[in-house]
Amino acid sequence: MPERLLELRNLSVRTHRRVLVEGIDVDVNAGEVTALVGPSGAGKSLTARCSMGLVNVSPGLFGGQLRFPGASESKDWYAPHINGGASAMQRLMRETASLRGSYFTYSPQVAASALNPGRTVGRQMLLAMNRRTSPPQDMGAEIAALLDEVGLAPRTAAALPGELSGGQCQRAALAIAIAPMPRVVVADEPETGLDPVLRRGIIELLVSVCQNHGCGLLLISHHEDTVERLANTIVRLTPHEEAAV
Amino acid sequence: MSAQPTVEVRGLSKVFVLRGAWPWDPNREVHAIKGVDLQLFPGQVMAVVGQSGSGKTTMARIILGLEELSEGEILLEGRRWDLMEEAERHRHRVFYQYVPQDAMSALDPQQNALEHVAETLRVLGGCSRSEAHEKGIQMLHRLGLSERMQALPREMSGGEQRRVTLARVLALEPRLVVADEPTSGLDPDRRREVLRDLIGNLPPTAACMLVTHNMAAAKAWCTHAVVMLDGWVIENFDPRSEMPVHPYSKLLFDPWSAPLPGTSLATEGCPFRNDCPLVQGPLVETCRRSMPSLQPLDHHQGRVACHALARPATPAAEANPSSNAETPPGPEPIEAEPIQPPAQG
Repeated sequence: MPERLLELRNLSVRTHRRVLVEGIDVDVNAGEVTALVGPSGAGKSLTARCSMGLVNVSPGLFGGQLRFPGASESKDWYAPHINGGASAMQRLMRETASLRGSYFTYSPQVAASALNPGRTVGRQMLLAMNRRTSPPQDMGAEIAALLDEVGLAPRTAAALPGELSGGQCQRAALAIAIAPMPRVVVADEPETGLDPVLRRGIIELLVSVCQNHGCGLLLISHHEDTVERLANTIVRLTPHEEAAV
Repeated sequence: MSAQPTVEVRGLSKVFVLRGAWPWDPNREVHAIKGVDLQLFPGQVMAVVGQSGSGKTTMARIILGLEELSEGEILLEGRRWDLMEEAERHRHRVFYQYVPQDAMSALDPQQNALEHVAETLRVLGGCSRSEAHEKGIQMLHRLGLSERMQALPREMSGGEQRRVTLARVLALEPRLVVADEPTSGLDPDRRREVLRDLIGNLPPTAACMLVTHNMAAAKAWCTHAVVMLDGWVIENFDPRSEMPVHPYSKLLFDPWSAPLPGTSLATEGCPFRNDCPLVQGPLVETCRRSMPSLQPLDHHQGRVACHALARPATPAAEANPSSNAETPPGPEPIEAEPIQPPAQG
């Protein structure tokens, strides 16, 4: 039985007008892939954000438990904030801030626009690496090793994101996501905007890199065929139409 | 098919020259398109598919005259478009319209949806102010934007922005629409809506060229599909009734059907030969030597550029390439020899 890294139970999030997600369970295990699939508006990205403690809707949480067994054994991070309204969501966000970028990292949807355009890829990786509990001595060698792992040349470290192609940007974003040695990687549709062959290449790379590092991967995807091939667990979401009572 | 094609492309090539930064840094030539022939008739919708960097966008831009060609001919409705002076082209441009990839950067941040369409109609369509206003409202209404006429681009969702760019183009009743990935960055539902709005609202005699990464869209909406690889067209077929047969096109339409190819394409001969499962025996040399031309196949309506698939139709003697490689024709390739000694000893 692989180590459990993230445990989200019975998540319920609402706005004043409608139910966004209701009764969702998500588990992420070390070295495994958990996929969130569903049509647009079903709350995939919202569920992923909630699993990182980012609930940016008001009043927000109506129920659920969130545990990170790899960080603190049995603490339920949601417990003090359920039904607390917007200010409680802010407190939850601050409490979980230290986990983001270290315990879990995020691989964005369109990497070309999510990377900092004014900083070189190497510099962005360096900043991410400083989030490790024990940063490595030789940062340069570590950056080269990570770039090599995602299939980029070492000289990419000196490049600005604008000089890279879409596929290279996605690889660079993955290198940055993996740099802090996280336990969980959350990837929000990493294949958007790529051609079909490149899309498969990026997803396979993402899964293999996460497995090599023993991370759990929470993958949001539109592509049913991709998910069925790669995911250990699939969580299907459906849009909620009914109004909240 | 007796009608005149809207677009006819003959032997189109494009070479970009990358200038070296310093006098001792030589210029490099990039062959973006290498001899493409195409015909697109009124009422047809053609999908141009291929991986990033295969020359799709360059071809689309050259056809509209946004980029100069290096070699070949382009005829739009029978007129030599590539030889035309820009002043002359300008009169015709209104009929040949372009839908950009990034809608946000193509819209004026200060203008609302209706102003975008009305201004286009006034400036390009020659309508009076009130006529343009009226037609603009009708067009936006048809595309389901009646509620959003006064919205500025930044207040609109991605799908709405796309639809404003479509409304602007469709209001002019163009005879050719070239859409360069009009659905990139949208989720599948929005993608379907945008394509439905684009193709469903085309004037009946208009031709449409759709550059896309989305194979499902090509199958659902297009009467033709052209597969591009490294500047060549390698297959040309009807995606509604047929599946692609070229090994590369198959991979593109179903990326999980075969192992992923390596990152580098062959520089001479067929670009896909390093990863092609059909390259075996004497074909190794054939595929290395030359790029095949597009040829019709026996059991396929489309045309395919592949030595391996075209073989059985032409020389009957070497019909079975995979099993008997002992009587190779012409100059015997060196690659075939190392296979035999291990088999004997």
